[in-house]
Amino acid sequence: MSTLPLEGIRVCDFTAVWAGQTATMYLADMGAECIKVENPYIWNPMTRAASPRMNAALAQMLPPWIAGHPPEPGPRPWNNSPAFMHVLRNKKSFTVDSRRPEGLAVVKQLIRISDIVAENLALGTLDKLGLDDGTIQSIRPDAIILHMPAFGRTGEYIEGRGYGSHIDGVAGSTVLRGYRDTAPVDNANIFAGDYWGGMMGAFALMAALRHRRRTGRGQVIEMAQSESSAHMFPQAALDAAWNGRVHGSLGNRSVEGLVPNGVFPTNVADSWLAISCRNDEEWANLVAFMGRPAWALRPESATSSGRAVHEDEIEERIAEWTATRDRESTFHELQRAGVTAGPVLNAAEAAVDPHLAATGAWQRLPATEDYPEVDWLRPAYRFSVSDIDLREPPCLFGQHNDYVYREVLGLSEAEIDALAAAGHIATTYAPEALNG
Amino acid sequence: MNALEGLTVLDFTSHIAGPFCTRLLAGMGARVIKVERQGGDTCRFLPPFKDDQPGPDRSALFHYLNADKESVVVDLRAKASRNVVSRLLALADVVVTASSPAQETALGIDYATLSAVKDVPVISLTNFGHEGPYRDYTLSDTVLYAMGAEMYSHGLEDREPLKLGGTAALLQCGAMAAVAAMGAITAYEIQGIGQLVDVPLFNAQVNNTDRRNSSIMAWRFSGRIQRRAAGAGAGLAGGIYPVADGFVEVTASAGNYWRRFVEMVNDDALRDPKWENPMTAMNPTAKEEADAIVYPWMLAHTRGEAWEAAREARAMLAPLYTGLDIWQDENFRSRGFWTEIEHPELGTLPMLDRPFILPDSPWRVDRPAPSPGQHTDQVLADADFDDRQISALKAQGVVA
Repeated sequence: MSTLPLEGIRVCDFTAVWAGQTATMYLADMGAECIKVENPYIWNPMTRAASPRMNAALAQMLPPWIAGHPPEPGPRPWNNSPAFMHVLRNKKSFTVDSRRPEGLAVVKQLIRISDIVAENLALGTLDKLGLDDGTIQSIRPDAIILHMPAFGRTGEYIEGRGYGSHIDGVAGSTVLRGYRDTAPVDNANIFAGDYWGGMMGAFALMAALRHRRRTGRGQVIEMAQSESSAHMFPQAALDAAWNGRVHGSLGNRSVEGLVPNGVFPTNVADSWLAISCRNDEEWANLVAFMGRPAWALRPESATSSGRAVHEDEIEERIAEWTATRDRESTFHELQRAGVTAGPVLNAAEAAVDPHLAATGAWQRLPATEDYPEVDWLRPAYRFSVSDIDLREPPCLFGQHNDYVYREVLGLSEAEIDALAAAGHIATTYAPEALNG
Repeated sequence: MNALEGLTVLDFTSHIAGPFCTRLLAGMGARVIKVERQGGDTCRFLPPFKDDQPGPDRSALFHYLNADKESVVVDLRAKASRNVVSRLLALADVVVTASSPAQETALGIDYATLSAVKDVPVISLTNFGHEGPYRDYTLSDTVLYAMGAEMYSHGLEDREPLKLGGTAALLQCGAMAAVAAMGAITAYEIQGIGQLVDVPLFNAQVNNTDRRNSSIMAWRFSGRIQRRAAGAGAGLAGGIYPVADGFVEVTASAGNYWRRFVEMVNDDALRDPKWENPMTAMNPTAKEEADAIVYPWMLAHTRGEAWEAAREARAMLAPLYTGLDIWQDENFRSRGFWTEIEHPELGTLPMLDRPFILPDSPWRVDRPAPSPGQHTDQVLADADFDDRQISALKAQGVVA
């Protein structure tokens, strides 16, 4: 008996950037055969790397999250971007130029034997290829189609273009994150909605699969990422709708009313400890742990609403206290004393965190020609029976051409030779894509 | 037909992450039986409240997270509750819990105890999992984001790192648990597999696509650490700009998006080919020079005007919305982002509608969140307790 819940489900995967590729990754983790359709003649921006011409010098000028390639990115930087490789685990990659008739025919053959077609490209991209919903459904009547437009497929904003940061803006995320004393101009880009959109997309697809098991019917799912992401901030939206109140940034203060709730300096530069008192008991524990300083003993400070009146002072005093302390030992001592606290872990610290290591969060994958042997993250959840895991390394560009053309599509040698000769089958991009 | 019609979820969760997971299941049509402690879920006492008046049925967040659920109040600390849980389990296809490993065992809702009665999938949200050195540590939204996500690189270089707004980190973990739950439900319905699904909140954030996993991979590949204020990598004009009535977010990276942006701003100085060199984007002086042209254009437009111009030029620009903007925006409204709930005490209230559209198996927001114990009698009757037994359980304080 198989132990993968989505075994037998095939995904024809046109997703790009993060939200879409994350959504299909969760399905691949669960055993769906997720086949990534890639085009050697088109460089899809922010999908396999920041630039097809990434080199050591350019990488150094860009932030690590997007360009922390190995020191020498080499001739195929699309196979070693830290931003995108991890969302390609358990997937298969094949190449075809779907703009040409024989390429489109190949894609249609794949759709015929796929359960799901997923995309989050600019609105109308699939239509232009000749793969509108009606066509897909005529090829595969029970197909489940997932569209993840930034702002919807109907309405005034359909022509809006957006990456994660723009979607976060409209979803209400950006105005809520920042310091209490600065304008939002000071925010660096973050992309909360990409993570969210990936999870929501995968959830919606699995719900639609259950519906299809019961009815035999597929459907066209529309997930406007701006709408979906607005669900990350229900307090702000509902306080506006119920009470007319506008939420701005609280800095690191708590919308739940926890006091104190913040990020405090420790005895090493740029090393921070987050502390939350989730209730009055945790506050009492903190006060006892600090040795009952006079400033913390006001009678009204026994309750969170009383502490809120003196929140500035409480934060200042805690910061003075933490500033002389070691972050690591204070973290453990506070937790053992019944106070919710934890270090702000940078990427290097998270990578070697003892708890993650002890609980098997990582799996070492062997080196390829394009990246070195390193530890990769396994899925966030652990199923005690189903083998949901990092089973296959991230797919390299065109890595599964043989498998897809021969075994999945069952093409003859002659057909494959002809497609190869016409440039559809590749493991590198065509020069025009690299210079485009 | 709803996608999860016919599926019953036994929900022992409280606060935010767990209830969001089960709310997604309820939204797709599952019957969710919410087992609450005496006095109710702590989330009932979290703001915002209707008219700012606290009360167990007045929290907007609680209604958002618990619409369409049924509430049964059970004192899980009482020995006699074990029989109640067993009978409720007989109704269930999946269980969701959100307690610490120690509490799970103490309350008899750990996988070993539950599976001895009926082997259904048990989705267990915990702070740090069921093993390892941090197993018994606690988390808040902020500490979770600090340890698990890329808080370290969010904010200004010379100031403290920043969290996300609201309780986004907790809600993200609830979404991750819902993905896991759908996988487990599928395995149960197709393959008959009951199992423990361990969903540590910490791991859910370490897996965060929002630069956490990328930043860790970057460190492994290159030894470089993502720091704060590292720049957006967004090109010549990029980041957040003030406009006449607020702010907009812009990306104008070299190539198409720069050319479209220039088309939108429509200033000949930006049409100079020098701007087309990708290396120009790395030069801070060049950005200043571009901004000197861009700022006046921005300040002469409202958010709505700027976004309209961007859509016309297919440029990457979008407004920064507040919750009030989302509430008032005609497009959000006409597309069906908002709906209403009818509450017997609070009246008609706006509520967020679907996070996605499944036209053949629609999302639902049919009923407001229940009062504590509102469905105790009905659910216990469904679980084959007769009136006399229900009264006895109430008299003993086991249920309410």
